[in-house]
Amino acid sequence: MALDRRRFLQITAAGVVATLTTSAPAAGTGVDVKALEEPDLLTMLGAERVREIGIRYRAATPNESTASSLRAALSATGPGTLLFRWSPAESIRSQIQADFAADRTVMLDGWVLSVTEAKQCALFSLTSA
Amino acid sequence: MHTDARTLDNGTVLEGDICIVGAGAAGITIALELMNSPVKVLLLEGGGFEYDPKLQDLYRGEIVGQPYYPLQAAALHYFGGTTGHWAGFCSTFDAIDFEKRAWVPHSGWPIRRQDLDPFYARAHQVLGLGPYKWDATDWKNGDADRTPLPVDPGVAWTKMWQFSPTRFGAKYRDAIVNAQNVHLYTNANVCEVEANEGMRKVNAVRIRTFEGKEFRARAKTYVLACHTIQNARLLLASNRQARNGLGNANDLVGRYFMEHLEMPGADMVLAKPESTKTKIYALDFGLRTPRGELALTAAKQREYRILNGTASVDPGNPNDPEFSTFQFFDTTLLAAMRAWDKAGRKGPPPIVAKLGAAAAGPPQAVPRFFHLKTRQEQSPNPNSRVTLSTEKDALGMPRARLDWQLTELDKRSIRTYYEVLGRELGRTGIGRVQIRDWLLNDDRSWPSFLSGGWHHMGTTRMNNDPKQGVVDANCRVHGLSNLFIGGAAVYATAGAVNPTLTLVALALRLSDHLKTKV
Repeated sequence: MALDRRRFLQITAAGVVATLTTSAPAAGTGVDVKALEEPDLLTMLGAERVREIGIRYRAATPNESTASSLRAALSATGPGTLLFRWSPAESIRSQIQADFAADRTVMLDGWVLSVTEAKQCALFSLTSA
Repeated sequence: MHTDARTLDNGTVLEGDICIVGAGAAGITIALELMNSPVKVLLLEGGGFEYDPKLQDLYRGEIVGQPYYPLQAAALHYFGGTTGHWAGFCSTFDAIDFEKRAWVPHSGWPIRRQDLDPFYARAHQVLGLGPYKWDATDWKNGDADRTPLPVDPGVAWTKMWQFSPTRFGAKYRDAIVNAQNVHLYTNANVCEVEANEGMRKVNAVRIRTFEGKEFRARAKTYVLACHTIQNARLLLASNRQARNGLGNANDLVGRYFMEHLEMPGADMVLAKPESTKTKIYALDFGLRTPRGELALTAAKQREYRILNGTASVDPGNPNDPEFSTFQFFDTTLLAAMRAWDKAGRKGPPPIVAKLGAAAAGPPQAVPRFFHLKTRQEQSPNPNSRVTLSTEKDALGMPRARLDWQLTELDKRSIRTYYEVLGRELGRTGIGRVQIRDWLLNDDRSWPSFLSGGWHHMGTTRMNNDPKQGVVDANCRVHGLSNLFIGGAAVYATAGAVNPTLTLVALALRLSDHLKTKV
C-alpha cells in the first residue's frame, strides 16, 4: 500500500517525538539536553580533553559559566538559533559548520573551535563530572 | 677530463672560456649543458669525490643571531655538493612567490613563474623526477585512497612533492670526467675572485690547496656556483681591491640570508577517520612516492597578509615527542645516514630506527591523529646575513659568520596558517586543528627547537636594481660584466618548498643565457 504524504509526515513526527522523550528537554528551552551536552568532539578528542576545553571556556567567559546559562546560550535565538528543533544534534552540527564559515571561532588550549562547540564543551565540563 | 689540483705545479694558470666555481647541483647542471659544445669549461671543485672531514671543515663558520645548525654539517663540500646527502624533496615555486607582495618587505623577483616553467620541465630530466605534473589529482596512481582532502579550493589545496633519486656526484661523475670540453679540477678551492683595475670585469680566480700550492684560473666568463653561504663568503673575502668585497658596492652581498622554517606547528584530529583519505600525504621513506602537503591559496595569503607555507600531514599519537628538522636530524643521525649511503644502502636506513623510537605507541590502524609540520618561507630580511668572521680556515680564508634573523611576520604567518586551516577543516567537517603552544604567545620569540631545513637561500639576491639586488635577472653580478651566480643564493624570496628543483631550473636558464654570450 502506498503511503500518502500526509500519513508519512504523521508517522515521522511521531517517531521524532518518541525519540525526544527518551531524554529530558532543557528547562524552558524544549531542546534535547543530551544533544547540547554531548558534543561530537567527544568522539574526536575524548572526554578528558573536551572537559579541559570546557573549563577553559568557562574561565574565559564568566557570563557563561553555569549550566543554565550555557543551555540558554546554546538554544538562544540569533546566531545561535537551533535550526531544526526536532533534531537538535543535526541542528548543532549545522550551527557549528556555520560558525566556522562565518569565523565565529574561539581558540582554547590551541584548538580552533566553533563557539557553539566550545559552549558544548563548557556544558559537558559541568554535567559530566 | 679530470685533474686533481694537488698534482698541479705551483703558479699554474688554467685557461678556459667559462670557469665554473663549485660542482654541486648548479655547477654540474651548467657544465652538463655546456658539454659537447665548442666552449672550453673549467669546473673547479674544492672537495674531492668523497667526503673528507679536512675539506669539510672549510665550511665551518661562526653562528650569531638565532641558533643554527653547525655550518660544516649543513652542506657538503665535495663533488656533487649537498645532493650527496639530501632526501630528494622537489616541488615548484608558486606564482605568488615571484610577485611583489605589499605585505612582504623586499619581495618580488624580476622574473615570473611562467618564465621558469620550461626550465622546470627540463630540470625534471636532470633530477630524474617523474612527469612534469604537479596537480594532486595527477598523482592518484589509480588508488582511490590517494585523494586530496575535500577542502574549498579557494581556501586550501594539496601541493605535491616529488622525490629525486639523484646524487649529482654519483650520477654525473663519468659524464663530466669523460667530457672533452669540460675539465674538472678537484681539491681546487677558490679563495679569491680578482677583478680588473676598474673592477668592471673579473680577470681570474685564485686557487689554493692544502699542500700550499696556489694558482689561477682565467676565463672569459665566470660562474660562482658554490653553496649559498660560500658564494657570499667568496665575494666578501675578495676584498683586496674593494674594501667591502667584490660586487658589493651597495652593501648587499651576504644580506637576505633565508631559510625555510621547518617545525612542528599543530596537530589534526579527523572527525571520520574511516572515510577520510589521507594516503596521498604519506611519506614513504625510500620509495619516493609523490606526496602532498596542505597549502593555503594565494588569495588567502593576500587576505591575511601572510607568507607562503605548507604543512606535512603525518600520522602519530597525541603524546609523541615531536621534533623540528634540526632536532630530529642531529649530527649523529646525519653521520649515520651518510655511512649507510656510502655502504650501498644495505638494510633499513638509520632514520627508520629513530622514527621508531620517536613513536609513543603502536601505529593506528586507521589514523585519526596527525602531526602537522610547518614548512614556510621566511620574510626577506636585510639583517639576516652572512659576513666574514675574524677566524680563518686552513687555507687562510676568513670563515663565514652567519647572523640568522627572523621577523614578526614569520611567526604570525605560521599561526595564521593554522587558524585558517583549522577553520576550513572545521567547516568541512574533516576534523579539528590544535595549534602548538609556542605559536600562541607572542610573535617575536622563538622556541628552543627553532629550525630551518638546511635550505640556504639569498645572500646574492636577484633584482634588476643594483641597490636592491646583487645579480640581475640573468644572474649577472651588477657592475661586473662577466661574473654570474648560480644556485639558491640568487633567490629573492624563498618560496615554501625545498630549493633544489628551482635551483636547477635557474641553472638551466643561466646556461641558456651563457650559450648566447660565449
